[in-house]
Amino acid sequence: MLRASTEVSGAEFDLGAITGEAAEDGGIAGGVLLHGFAEAVTLGDEARTGELRDALADRLGEAAMIDAAAIAAAFHGFVRIVDATGAPVAGAAGGRVTAEFREALGIDEFYGACNP
Amino acid sequence: MSGIDYDTPYRVRETLVAAQRLAWRRIAEPGAWLDGERRVAAAGAVRAARGCALCRERKQALSPFAIEGEHQAGGRLSAAEVELIHRLTTDPGRLSRSWAEGILAAGVSEEAYVEIVGIVGMVMVVDTFRRALGLPEFDLPAPVAGAPSGYRAPGARRHDAWISLVQPDDVVESDGALYGAAASPVVKALSLVPEAKRAYWDLAEEHYLPGSEMTDYATGVRAIDRMQMELVAGRVSALHQCVY
Repeated sequence: MLRASTEVSGAEFDLGAITGEAAEDGGIAGGVLLHGFAEAVTLGDEARTGELRDALADRLGEAAMIDAAAIAAAFHGFVRIVDATGAPVAGAAGGRVTAEFREALGIDEFYGACNP
Repeated sequence: MSGIDYDTPYRVRETLVAAQRLAWRRIAEPGAWLDGERRVAAAGAVRAARGCALCRERKQALSPFAIEGEHQAGGRLSAAEVELIHRLTTDPGRLSRSWAEGILAAGVSEEAYVEIVGIVGMVMVVDTFRRALGLPEFDLPAPVAGAPSGYRAPGARRHDAWISLVQPDDVVESDGALYGAAASPVVKALSLVPEAKRAYWDLAEEHYLPGSEMTDYATGVRAIDRMQMELVAGRVSALHQCVY
Protein backbone atom coordinates (compact mmCIF):
# COMPACT_ATOMS: atom_id res chain seq x y z
CA MET A 1 0.00 0.00 0.00
CA LEU A 2 2.86 2.36 0.82
CA ARG A 3 4.51 1.60 -2.47
CA ALA A 4 1.26 2.04 -4.37
CA SER A 5 0.56 5.37 -2.70
CA THR A 6 3.97 6.69 -3.67
CA GLU A 7 3.40 5.56 -7.25
CA VAL A 8 0.28 7.71 -7.32
CA SER A 9 1.79 10.70 -5.55
CA GLY A 10 5.08 10.50 -7.44
CA ALA A 11 6.93 10.85 -4.16
CA GLU A 12 10.30 9.30 -3.47
CA PHE A 13 10.46 7.27 -0.30
CA ASP A 14 12.90 5.07 1.57
CA LEU A 15 11.66 1.66 2.73
CA GLY A 16 13.98 2.17 5.68
CA ALA A 17 11.20 4.39 7.05
CA ILE A 18 9.38 1.15 7.87
CA THR A 19 12.34 -0.91 9.01
CA GLY A 20 13.76 1.97 11.03
CA GLU A 21 16.93 2.22 8.98
CA ALA A 22 16.15 5.55 7.35
CA ALA A 23 18.20 8.39 8.81
CA GLU A 24 15.58 11.06 8.14
CA ASP A 25 11.86 11.02 7.38
CA GLY A 26 12.33 8.63 4.44
CA GLY A 27 10.52 11.05 2.13
CA ILE A 28 7.39 11.05 4.28
CA ALA A 29 6.39 14.14 6.26
CA GLY A 30 6.85 13.38 9.94
CA GLY A 31 8.19 9.95 9.02
CA VAL A 32 10.54 9.59 11.98
CA LEU A 33 7.82 10.60 14.43
CA LEU A 34 5.21 8.34 12.85
CA HIS A 35 7.60 5.41 12.77
CA GLY A 36 8.55 5.96 16.40
CA PHE A 37 4.95 6.38 17.51
CA ALA A 38 3.84 3.17 15.76
CA GLU A 39 6.75 1.34 17.34
CA ALA A 40 6.19 2.71 20.85
CA VAL A 41 2.48 1.85 20.77
CA THR A 42 3.18 -1.67 19.51
CA LEU A 43 5.92 -2.32 22.06
CA GLY A 44 3.81 -0.91 24.89
CA ASP A 45 6.36 1.77 25.77
CA GLU A 46 4.07 4.20 27.59
CA ALA A 47 6.65 6.94 28.21
CA ARG A 48 7.85 7.03 24.60
CA THR A 49 4.27 6.82 23.32
CA GLY A 50 3.41 9.90 25.36
CA GLU A 51 6.42 11.87 24.16
CA LEU A 52 5.80 11.04 20.52
CA ARG A 53 2.06 11.65 20.84
CA ASP A 54 2.78 15.22 21.91
CA ALA A 55 5.49 15.63 19.28
CA LEU A 56 3.17 14.38 16.54
CA ALA A 57 0.37 16.69 17.62
CA ASP A 58 2.82 19.61 17.57
CA ARG A 59 4.32 18.73 14.19
CA LEU A 60 1.32 17.41 12.21
CA GLY A 61 -1.66 18.51 14.30
CA GLU A 62 -3.92 16.82 16.81
CA ALA A 63 -6.22 15.26 14.20
CA ALA A 64 -3.20 13.71 12.49
CA MET A 65 -2.00 12.25 15.77
CA ILE A 66 -5.46 10.80 16.42
CA ASP A 67 -5.52 9.22 12.98
CA ALA A 68 -2.03 7.79 13.46
CA ALA A 69 -3.19 6.26 16.75
CA ALA A 70 -6.31 4.88 15.06
CA ILE A 71 -4.33 3.29 12.22
CA ALA A 72 -1.83 1.75 14.62
CA ALA A 73 -4.81 0.34 16.54
CA ALA A 74 -6.49 -0.98 13.39
CA PHE A 75 -3.39 -2.92 12.41
CA HIS A 76 -3.20 -4.57 15.82
CA GLY A 77 -6.47 -6.14 14.72
CA PHE A 78 -5.67 -6.74 11.04
CA VAL A 79 -2.48 -8.67 11.70
CA ARG A 80 -4.33 -11.00 14.04
CA ILE A 81 -7.31 -11.78 11.87
CA VAL A 82 -5.14 -12.56 8.87
CA ASP A 83 -2.45 -14.44 10.80
CA ALA A 84 -5.10 -16.63 12.42
CA THR A 85 -6.51 -17.81 9.09
CA GLY A 86 -3.26 -18.78 7.40
CA ALA A 87 -4.29 -17.41 4.04
CA PRO A 88 -1.61 -17.84 1.37
CA VAL A 89 0.89 -15.00 1.37
CA ALA A 90 0.82 -14.90 -2.42
CA GLY A 91 -2.51 -13.10 -2.36
CA ALA A 92 -1.36 -10.28 -0.10
CA ALA A 93 -1.54 -6.69 -1.40
CA GLY A 94 -3.28 -7.88 -4.54
CA GLY A 95 -0.31 -10.08 -5.37
CA ARG A 96 1.93 -7.04 -5.92
CA VAL A 97 4.55 -7.96 -3.34
CA THR A 98 7.75 -8.64 -5.28
CA ALA A 99 10.75 -10.61 -4.10
CA GLU A 100 12.79 -7.39 -4.00
CA PHE A 101 10.17 -5.69 -1.86
CA ARG A 102 10.04 -8.64 0.55
CA GLU A 103 13.81 -8.64 0.86
CA ALA A 104 14.01 -4.89 1.47
CA LEU A 105 11.50 -5.13 4.29
CA GLY A 106 13.00 -8.29 5.73
CA ILE A 107 9.71 -10.15 5.30
CA ASP A 108 11.45 -13.37 4.28
CA GLU A 109 13.02 -13.49 7.74
CA PHE A 110 9.61 -13.60 9.42
CA TYR A 111 8.41 -16.89 10.91
CA GLY A 112 5.24 -16.83 8.85
CA ALA A 113 7.08 -16.32 5.57
CA CYS A 114 7.04 -20.06 4.97
CA ASN A 115 3.27 -20.13 5.75
CA PRO A 116 3.81 -23.18 8.04
CA MET B 1 -13.99 3.07 32.91
CA SER B 2 -17.66 2.36 32.25
CA GLY B 3 -19.16 2.91 28.81
CA ILE B 4 -17.46 4.22 25.68
CA ASP B 5 -16.82 7.89 26.27
CA TYR B 6 -13.86 10.19 25.71
CA ASP B 7 -13.09 12.81 28.30
CA THR B 8 -9.58 13.64 27.13
CA PRO B 9 -7.40 16.61 26.26
CA TYR B 10 -7.65 15.40 22.63
CA ARG B 11 -10.64 15.68 20.35
CA VAL B 12 -11.47 12.17 19.15
CA ARG B 13 -13.62 12.24 16.05
CA GLU B 14 -17.20 11.22 16.77
CA THR B 15 -17.24 8.56 14.04
CA LEU B 16 -14.45 6.73 15.87
CA VAL B 17 -16.31 6.89 19.16
CA ALA B 18 -19.50 5.65 17.50
CA ALA B 19 -17.64 2.73 15.89
CA GLN B 20 -16.16 1.72 19.23
CA ARG B 21 -19.58 1.93 20.92
CA LEU B 22 -21.04 -0.30 18.22
CA ALA B 23 -18.19 -2.79 18.59
CA TRP B 24 -18.69 -3.01 22.35
CA ARG B 25 -22.42 -3.53 21.90
CA ARG B 26 -21.79 -6.24 19.34
CA ILE B 27 -19.31 -8.02 21.62
CA ALA B 28 -21.98 -8.11 24.33
CA GLU B 29 -24.75 -9.45 22.09
CA PRO B 30 -25.18 -13.06 20.97
CA GLY B 31 -23.14 -13.72 17.86
CA ALA B 32 -23.52 -16.41 15.24
CA TRP B 33 -21.95 -19.21 17.30
CA LEU B 34 -21.24 -17.83 20.77
CA ASP B 35 -23.71 -16.34 23.21
CA GLY B 36 -23.09 -12.96 24.81
CA GLU B 37 -21.56 -14.41 27.95
CA ARG B 38 -18.97 -16.40 26.02
CA ARG B 39 -18.23 -13.46 23.73
CA VAL B 40 -17.55 -11.16 26.67
CA ALA B 41 -15.48 -13.93 28.27
CA ALA B 42 -13.42 -14.06 25.06
CA ALA B 43 -12.87 -10.32 25.27
CA GLY B 44 -11.79 -10.70 28.88
CA ALA B 45 -9.35 -13.43 27.89
CA VAL B 46 -7.65 -11.03 25.47
CA ARG B 47 -6.83 -8.80 28.41
CA ALA B 48 -5.87 -11.70 30.66
CA ALA B 49 -3.41 -12.87 27.99
CA ARG B 50 -1.34 -9.74 28.41
CA GLY B 51 -0.59 -10.72 32.00
CA CYS B 52 -0.29 -14.46 31.36
CA ALA B 53 2.95 -15.99 32.67
CA LEU B 54 2.82 -18.88 30.16
CA CYS B 55 2.36 -16.49 27.23
CA ARG B 56 5.28 -14.38 28.45
CA GLU B 57 7.52 -17.43 28.69
CA ARG B 58 6.48 -18.67 25.25
CA LYS B 59 7.01 -15.26 23.70
CA GLN B 60 10.60 -15.27 24.89
CA ALA B 61 11.27 -18.85 23.76
CA LEU B 62 12.95 -19.66 20.47
CA SER B 63 9.87 -21.74 19.66
CA PRO B 64 6.57 -21.18 21.45
CA PHE B 65 5.81 -24.88 20.96
CA ALA B 66 8.69 -25.88 23.23
CA ILE B 67 7.00 -24.51 26.34
CA GLU B 68 4.13 -26.40 27.91
CA GLY B 69 1.80 -25.19 30.64
CA GLU B 70 -1.66 -23.82 31.31
CA HIS B 71 -3.12 -20.41 30.73
CA GLN B 72 -5.29 -18.64 33.24
CA ALA B 73 -8.78 -20.19 33.07
CA GLY B 74 -11.31 -18.36 30.92
CA GLY B 75 -14.64 -19.00 32.64
CA ARG B 76 -17.02 -20.62 30.14
CA LEU B 77 -14.31 -20.88 27.53
CA SER B 78 -12.63 -24.21 26.86
CA ALA B 79 -8.88 -24.64 27.29
CA ALA B 80 -8.47 -24.71 23.50
CA GLU B 81 -10.46 -21.48 23.12
CA VAL B 82 -8.26 -19.83 25.75
CA GLU B 83 -5.15 -21.08 23.92
CA LEU B 84 -6.50 -19.58 20.68
CA ILE B 85 -7.13 -16.22 22.31
CA HIS B 86 -3.89 -16.04 24.27
CA ARG B 87 -1.60 -17.07 21.42
CA LEU B 88 -3.35 -14.80 18.95
CA THR B 89 -3.14 -11.89 21.36
CA THR B 90 0.46 -12.27 22.45
CA ASP B 91 2.33 -13.97 19.59
CA PRO B 92 0.36 -13.74 16.33
CA GLY B 93 3.42 -13.82 14.08
CA ARG B 94 4.34 -17.38 15.08
CA LEU B 95 1.11 -19.26 14.54
CA SER B 96 1.14 -22.29 12.27
CA ARG B 97 -1.20 -24.56 10.36
CA SER B 98 -0.57 -27.44 12.78
CA TRP B 99 -1.34 -25.17 15.72
CA ALA B 100 -4.65 -24.11 14.15
CA GLU B 101 -5.47 -27.74 13.36
CA GLY B 102 -4.78 -28.59 17.00
CA ILE B 103 -7.26 -25.97 18.17
CA LEU B 104 -9.92 -27.40 15.85
CA ALA B 105 -9.10 -30.99 16.83
CA ALA B 106 -9.54 -30.03 20.49
CA GLY B 107 -13.19 -29.31 19.80
CA VAL B 108 -13.34 -25.66 18.73
CA SER B 109 -15.55 -25.47 15.67
CA GLU B 110 -14.34 -23.52 12.66
CA GLU B 111 -17.22 -21.12 13.18
CA ALA B 112 -16.39 -20.48 16.85
CA TYR B 113 -12.71 -20.13 15.88
CA VAL B 114 -13.55 -17.39 13.39
CA GLU B 115 -15.95 -15.63 15.73
CA ILE B 116 -13.37 -15.60 18.51
CA VAL B 117 -10.70 -14.28 16.15
CA GLY B 118 -13.03 -11.42 15.27
CA ILE B 119 -13.55 -10.59 18.95
CA VAL B 120 -9.80 -10.64 19.57
CA GLY B 121 -9.38 -8.25 16.66
CA MET B 122 -12.02 -5.83 17.95
CA VAL B 123 -10.68 -5.75 21.49
CA MET B 124 -7.15 -5.22 20.19
CA VAL B 125 -8.27 -2.24 18.09
CA VAL B 126 -10.14 -0.49 20.89
CA ASP B 127 -7.60 -1.24 23.63
CA THR B 128 -4.65 -0.24 21.46
CA PHE B 129 -6.28 3.05 20.51
CA ARG B 130 -6.83 3.82 24.19
CA ARG B 131 -3.24 2.89 24.99
CA ALA B 132 -1.96 5.09 22.16
CA LEU B 133 -3.74 8.03 23.75
CA GLY B 134 -2.47 7.17 27.24
CA LEU B 135 -5.96 6.29 28.45
CA PRO B 136 -7.14 3.35 30.58
CA GLU B 137 -9.03 0.48 29.00
CA PHE B 138 -12.80 0.66 28.87
CA ASP B 139 -14.69 -1.77 31.09
CA LEU B 140 -15.98 -4.70 29.10
CA PRO B 141 -19.72 -4.62 28.39
CA ALA B 142 -22.25 -6.73 30.26
CA PRO B 143 -23.39 -9.75 28.22
CA VAL B 144 -26.78 -9.56 26.52
CA ALA B 145 -28.94 -12.68 26.79
CA GLY B 146 -30.07 -14.53 23.69
CA ALA B 147 -29.26 -17.40 21.39
CA PRO B 148 -26.63 -17.33 18.63
CA SER B 149 -27.97 -17.26 15.07
CA GLY B 150 -26.02 -20.36 14.02
CA TYR B 151 -25.27 -18.91 10.56
CA ARG B 152 -22.34 -20.27 8.57
CA ALA B 153 -21.77 -18.95 5.06
CA PRO B 154 -22.91 -21.85 2.86
CA GLY B 155 -20.35 -21.09 0.18
CA ALA B 156 -17.38 -21.30 2.56
CA ARG B 157 -14.78 -23.89 1.60
CA ARG B 158 -11.39 -24.97 2.90
CA HIS B 159 -9.27 -23.71 0.02
CA ASP B 160 -5.59 -23.26 0.87
CA ALA B 161 -5.98 -21.33 4.11
CA TRP B 162 -6.12 -22.98 7.55
CA ILE B 163 -9.85 -22.39 7.86
CA SER B 164 -12.77 -22.16 5.47
CA LEU B 165 -13.26 -18.91 3.60
CA VAL B 166 -15.81 -17.57 1.16
CA GLN B 167 -14.46 -16.72 -2.27
CA PRO B 168 -16.23 -13.77 -3.93
CA ASP B 169 -17.96 -16.04 -6.47
CA ASP B 170 -19.39 -18.17 -3.63
CA VAL B 171 -21.21 -15.39 -1.77
CA VAL B 172 -24.97 -16.01 -1.53
CA GLU B 173 -27.77 -13.60 -0.70
CA SER B 174 -28.20 -14.83 2.86
CA ASP B 175 -24.57 -13.88 3.62
CA GLY B 176 -25.44 -10.20 3.29
CA ALA B 177 -22.81 -7.75 2.09
CA LEU B 178 -19.40 -9.43 2.27
CA TYR B 179 -17.10 -7.89 -0.31
CA GLY B 180 -16.68 -4.67 -2.20
CA ALA B 181 -14.19 -4.32 -5.01
CA ALA B 182 -11.33 -6.06 -3.23
CA ALA B 183 -11.14 -9.48 -1.58
CA SER B 184 -7.57 -9.77 -0.36
CA PRO B 185 -6.59 -12.41 2.24
CA VAL B 186 -7.28 -10.04 5.12
CA VAL B 187 -10.71 -9.10 3.73
CA LYS B 188 -11.67 -12.77 3.36
CA ALA B 189 -10.27 -13.83 6.73
CA LEU B 190 -13.53 -13.88 8.72
CA SER B 191 -15.93 -14.53 5.84
CA LEU B 192 -16.98 -17.96 7.13
CA VAL B 193 -19.07 -16.09 9.72
CA PRO B 194 -20.38 -13.00 7.91
CA GLU B 195 -21.63 -11.36 11.14
CA ALA B 196 -18.15 -11.58 12.62
CA LYS B 197 -16.61 -10.23 9.45
CA ARG B 198 -18.90 -7.21 9.33
CA ALA B 199 -18.54 -6.49 13.07
CA TYR B 200 -14.77 -6.43 12.80
CA TRP B 201 -14.61 -4.45 9.57
CA ASP B 202 -17.10 -1.80 10.64
CA LEU B 203 -14.72 -1.01 13.49
CA ALA B 204 -11.48 -1.41 11.57
CA GLU B 205 -12.49 0.67 8.58
CA GLU B 206 -13.35 3.60 10.81
CA HIS B 207 -9.87 3.42 12.32
CA TYR B 208 -8.06 2.82 9.03
CA LEU B 209 -9.96 3.51 5.83
CA PRO B 210 -13.47 2.92 4.48
CA GLY B 211 -13.52 0.11 1.92
CA SER B 212 -14.43 2.61 -0.78
CA GLU B 213 -11.12 4.43 -0.18
CA MET B 214 -8.91 1.36 0.06
CA THR B 215 -7.56 1.56 -3.47
CA ASP B 216 -7.55 5.34 -3.62
CA TYR B 217 -3.91 6.03 -2.87
CA ALA B 218 -4.45 9.77 -3.02
CA THR B 219 -7.32 9.69 -0.54
CA GLY B 220 -7.75 12.69 1.71
CA VAL B 221 -10.28 11.06 4.02
CA ARG B 222 -7.93 11.18 7.01
CA ALA B 223 -5.81 13.93 8.54
CA ILE B 224 -2.63 12.20 7.39
CA ASP B 225 -1.92 11.28 3.78
CA ARG B 226 -1.79 7.75 2.45
CA MET B 227 2.00 7.48 2.64
CA GLN B 228 1.93 8.50 6.29
CA MET B 229 -0.87 6.05 6.96
CA GLU B 230 0.94 3.17 5.32
CA LEU B 231 4.14 3.98 7.17
CA VAL B 232 2.30 3.52 10.48
CA ALA B 233 0.56 0.40 9.16
CA GLY B 234 3.78 -1.04 7.80
CA ARG B 235 5.73 -0.50 11.00
CA VAL B 236 3.03 -2.09 13.16
CA SER B 237 2.79 -5.05 10.77
CA ALA B 238 6.56 -5.50 10.63
CA LEU B 239 6.85 -5.51 14.43
CA HIS B 240 4.20 -8.21 14.50
CA GLN B 241 6.15 -10.16 11.85
CA CYS B 242 3.03 -10.11 9.73
CA VAL B 243 3.88 -11.29 6.23
CA TYR B 244 0.76 -9.88 4.61
